[in-house]
Amino acid sequence: MNLSRKFVTVFAVFTMIVVPLVPVMLHAQDCPTAQDNYVIGFANLTEDIVFTQLVREGILAAAEEAGNVEIVLADNRLDGATALANADNFIAQGVDGVIEFQTDEAFGNVIMSRFRREGIPVIAIDIPMPGATFFGADNYFAGRLAGEALGEWVNENWDGEANAMLVLELPQSGPIPAARMQGMEEGFQETVEVPVADDMIFRLDSKNTQEESFQVVSDTLPTIPDAEKIVAITINDGTALGVIAAAEAAGRADQIMVVGQGADPSGQEAIVAENSRYLGATGYFPELYGFQIIPAMIDLLECRPVPPAIYVNHIFINQDNICDLYAEAWPDFCPAS
Amino acid sequence: MQKTAPAAPSTGVMPQLGRWLRGERLTTLNLFVTFVIICIIFASQAEFFLTLENFVNIGRTLGVVGIVSIGMTLVLITGGVDISVGSVAALSGVVTSILWLNYDVSLGVATIVGLLVCTLVGFINGYLIAVVRINPLITTLASFSIIRGMAFVLSNGQTNQLNDEAFKFLGRGEIAGVPVSLVLMIVLYIVFFFIMHFTQFGRNLYAIGGSADASRLAGIAVRRHLLIVYTLSGFLAGLAGIIIASQLASSAPRAATGLEFTVIAAVVLGGTSLSGGKGSLIGTLVGVFILRVLDNGLVQTRVSSFYQDVVSGTVLLLAVGFDQLRLQLTSRFGGKS
Repeated sequence: MNLSRKFVTVFAVFTMIVVPLVPVMLHAQDCPTAQDNYVIGFANLTEDIVFTQLVREGILAAAEEAGNVEIVLADNRLDGATALANADNFIAQGVDGVIEFQTDEAFGNVIMSRFRREGIPVIAIDIPMPGATFFGADNYFAGRLAGEALGEWVNENWDGEANAMLVLELPQSGPIPAARMQGMEEGFQETVEVPVADDMIFRLDSKNTQEESFQVVSDTLPTIPDAEKIVAITINDGTALGVIAAAEAAGRADQIMVVGQGADPSGQEAIVAENSRYLGATGYFPELYGFQIIPAMIDLLECRPVPPAIYVNHIFINQDNICDLYAEAWPDFCPAS
Repeated sequence: MQKTAPAAPSTGVMPQLGRWLRGERLTTLNLFVTFVIICIIFASQAEFFLTLENFVNIGRTLGVVGIVSIGMTLVLITGGVDISVGSVAALSGVVTSILWLNYDVSLGVATIVGLLVCTLVGFINGYLIAVVRINPLITTLASFSIIRGMAFVLSNGQTNQLNDEAFKFLGRGEIAGVPVSLVLMIVLYIVFFFIMHFTQFGRNLYAIGGSADASRLAGIAVRRHLLIVYTLSGFLAGLAGIIIASQLASSAPRAATGLEFTVIAAVVLGGTSLSGGKGSLIGTLVGVFILRVLDNGLVQTRVSSFYQDVVSGTVLLLAVGFDQLRLQLTSRFGGKS
């Protein structure tokens, strides 16, 4: 082997080893936030709600699974000023990235300006913040899933026609719950063979409580004495349970079928109940949020492309599939496989 | 507050008019007329307002506010206030459900323990107000927060199902077509009407509300009376919480949110003075009916929920405003009220 062949061989080997590393080396130079281990701050919306507790547990589990992520926790206590103080603490602690779950839009701008100044990437859960990657519910789609399921049920069981529709909404809470309700209503009306007439659609303010939905439905049922096929679309599980309780109290439970949003444990219990009038609910799976958020945050920190909005993988949960998802929670309903 | 000596009776048309206007019965009569007018308006606007089904529904959903209003009337007559009633109502349902679901306790015993816990909360409120002499607003505002927090801690923020037919009978059952909760409420009103008007204890409460110092000097055991009144308020709030849990077949730590404001509105509408010494259970009962019928009629006439709040607030303001005007006329034509 002459010198030139040796040189060519060495050059070829060198090229094969080094060339693939060039983009990595260049990338590392271009990505100042990339490290072997990360400290990520997570400021939860509140610790008083099961939903947010599950979000926190999921994030901790996902961080442990990732292996190189340490989570610093804070509680925003449903308060913008507290969220701002937590943001300042995160900056002082030198976190690499932040997951924000906070409710105050005005404070969101201030919080984001601080993080931007420090070059800290942020993922905002459920409530968008300017400049942050959004993660959360696809509200219209989630609503639509439930509405379509209800429409299919009516087609199969009530000859494709319902006499009246109760819409248990939350008008004071703005566009997010409105998108859910719009999705449910449109999903139902476009699926069912005979859409419910406008004058038989009753829009009721649930005020997000079981008691209020119980009362407004109790007040509405006497106005539709001849309706024997009533559908109800509801903003969440609690509201759905209030509707069912009102129908039961009025002795008209067999005339109503309800869908909702959330599928939290109380909703699941109503879904698996015997002769249930709760057809099902769209699942939001807060316990799984972390398993989408942590990889996305690592991608952000390592300068890989991340879409501006990442949505929860919603599924409509009913008696047919609840055992695939929550068999351990309902051993009496789900036969051991 | 010092009581002024009553003016000597005088003769003539104007003083007689003044005495007539001053009468408590007239306040109740005015309220009753208001109630009838509201019913007539809704009957002309809502096709199914004057139906048996609707009256049964109104009766079924009246008990909670009605029962808590008894305790609040007593408290306000003594010159105090109890902001904690909504939280206490939530606690009773939570305690009952936890004992029934998590421990080997029958639902009947669990219900009694739930009521006892609420009675104890009322007693502690009373002790702090009557013995430690902390302002009633501050005391019950603090317990409002503490008790609601305890409900969340005990339930872990979860809604628990209480699917027991016997338990549901209290909130949904009927006796000869009359809702059980309505029967219970009416019985309690009769009992407490008797106590307030035909016992020394009842008369002492008015005296304490007029002037606690004067009552003490007159030999009335003010502390003991206040202790009893707040204990009763806690018990009645707990009972209302059990009815809510029974109606909804579930308990939630968020239950009865805002109940205190509805109850105070009903009691004040019924002619009870916020400064104490004046009020009647009959007036409270009519106030409860007015607010409930307003809600029912506005839902049935499909008025937007935003306007419903406006209308309810306006009716309250008008009723109390007219009553104040009447009292001013009283003092103008026939001495002080």
